[in-house]
Amino acid sequence: MNLLTNVLRDPALVGAWRAEHWNSFLPLARRAGLMGRCLEVFESNGLLDLVPDRLVDQFKGTLAQTRYVQVQALRELNQVARVLGSEDIPLIALKGVAYLAAGLPPRGWRSLSDIDLLVRSQDLLRAEQALQRTGWQLHGDFDGYDQRYYREWMHEIPPMIHSQRETEVDIHHNLAPPVSRVRIDADKLWRDAVLFQLEDRRAVRVLSGPDILLHNAVHLFMNDELRGGLRDVVDFRDLYRHFVSENADFDQELVVRARELNCERPLYYAATTARRLAGLELSDTFINALRPFAPMWPFASIMHWLIERVLAPERLGMTSTTIANWLLFVRSHWVRMPPGLLIKHLWHKALFSKKPVTPDADLPG
Amino acid sequence: MTNIVLDAGPFRVGIRTSYSPLLDTLRYFYRASVCDEVTPVLDFDIRLDRPKSLRRWVRPQIQFEIDSFRPFEPHPAENAFPMYEWGLNWCIATSAHRYMMLHSGVVAFGADALILPGSPGSGKSTLTAALHLRGARLLSDEFGLVLPETADLLPMPRGIPLKNASIDAILEFDSAAPLGPTYPKTRKGRVRHLRPDQESQRLRCLPASPRWLVFPTYESGADELLQPLDKTEAFRQLAFNCFNYRLLGETGFSAVARLIRRVDCYTFRFSQLDRATDVLTGLANR
Repeated sequence: MNLLTNVLRDPALVGAWRAEHWNSFLPLARRAGLMGRCLEVFESNGLLDLVPDRLVDQFKGTLAQTRYVQVQALRELNQVARVLGSEDIPLIALKGVAYLAAGLPPRGWRSLSDIDLLVRSQDLLRAEQALQRTGWQLHGDFDGYDQRYYREWMHEIPPMIHSQRETEVDIHHNLAPPVSRVRIDADKLWRDAVLFQLEDRRAVRVLSGPDILLHNAVHLFMNDELRGGLRDVVDFRDLYRHFVSENADFDQELVVRARELNCERPLYYAATTARRLAGLELSDTFINALRPFAPMWPFASIMHWLIERVLAPERLGMTSTTIANWLLFVRSHWVRMPPGLLIKHLWHKALFSKKPVTPDADLPG
Repeated sequence: MTNIVLDAGPFRVGIRTSYSPLLDTLRYFYRASVCDEVTPVLDFDIRLDRPKSLRRWVRPQIQFEIDSFRPFEPHPAENAFPMYEWGLNWCIATSAHRYMMLHSGVVAFGADALILPGSPGSGKSTLTAALHLRGARLLSDEFGLVLPETADLLPMPRGIPLKNASIDAILEFDSAAPLGPTYPKTRKGRVRHLRPDQESQRLRCLPASPRWLVFPTYESGADELLQPLDKTEAFRQLAFNCFNYRLLGETGFSAVARLIRRVDCYTFRFSQLDRATDVLTGLANR
């Protein structure tokens, strides 16, 4: 637990904060991508007067950038929908851009680094070719091995970007790698998906409410080092509250759907984590229904310990976070690749991994 | 443990470092910008430390870190101060969209600001430095901060990085110019910084009103020429000069419009700093 998760659970705490609290809080909020969310928390709880002015300015600055990124993302979605529409390839918007398209609660503050889309696996190649014909190209430096990693073993093609724009497009054909232990029948996702109108009356599909939450859970708990971080946990909390407020039986439907899609374990982790770290209220019936989804003792406690070290460390840069990250990294590979393939993959990465290059932005000075 | 807290205009910066020559340089440049609050709330909590690698015994390096994140490769330790300045610019450019950020030098005569937008090589930093040495208050040398609601300019008095030939031009203009150490090998070649005067640092929280917008161009050997510029064209050029114009969307458009309405617009060709500063200070005394 840290000051950021404390605020997410009980915002009124800031009444007692001094400068050193704010100084510990700001880096946590900035790194977690929760600046905009925090501003909303303080505003809606009437606490803005207690927040130092310079922090309010920092929140507003980040939010201005988020608004810009959101406009770019929706524009990119529109462009991709236009190209794929002309080829009769249906698509589903996922995660951040789906929340924007469907007007779901994270829309108010959530930034995104790319847009994630789902197409049917039989359309994947045609979708890639159609985009490449109309100005998109692979984004980044991928050798043959990387390409094979994405296409054969993962659930996506390498990221693409339009030559004249800046939003990356990630096209998936499933929510989890086809080689992983969580096997999701993508046809079921398509059957329940909901149509939404974009601004220029182009229609785009978004997953059903339960599937949105299950995707959030799978994404957070199957990726390297819980990549979406605390922001995904807050998304889960806010979306869960939203759907429950619209439909009192939502939590029971979620449990049924988790069974149908083989996402029981990720749902268990996502819901209990949102409860512990972000103060999500869960009904007793829902908690009881989750119980059979938990891993065997002592793995549940170990996982909770690791998750907390990574998502809510007391300070940034702690050694325990590094260790927990490494263990979760190993685990994430374990759950999404069969052992033989995993050994092959890690062996290749150990021998041929490329050093990341620091971007040199064009700045004054 | 924070070693020093500085006010860079509206931003409060905590600096932690184990490299004491950097603290000496920071005190040389920013003695009058040291924050005097006992426990201040910070915008940026920066660490500059030597990476714990074997290299430290051969050729010491320094690593810039904010929020436990290292946006750049380590640099040679002797370049710690330019690295700090560069890193702080990165922090501001990536987060301070509360403001409109112009790629402009800004000085003030009394309450009235003269804005000098320019691309690299236009001579705006050199011209800004010369005007400051002639007594104009320094608001910024290339990071002009505009409050979008009013189009007022916020000061951020920092060391002005003079590059290569500009260093000699400024020393020729004023042999007593307070310049810091020479950094012979930076990304931009040889660099020396001009220290902002005490008064500019003391008035670091006092905004100025936009009054003149002058687009400078350095042209070797040319006579100084100040010509009025059409406001529509000035709008276009200023919007183009703004780092976060597109990002700010409507806010940026309104802020540029508001600013343009309040200023006289000119283009200015110059070659000699003596004559150039005469022309521009003449504008203020008119």
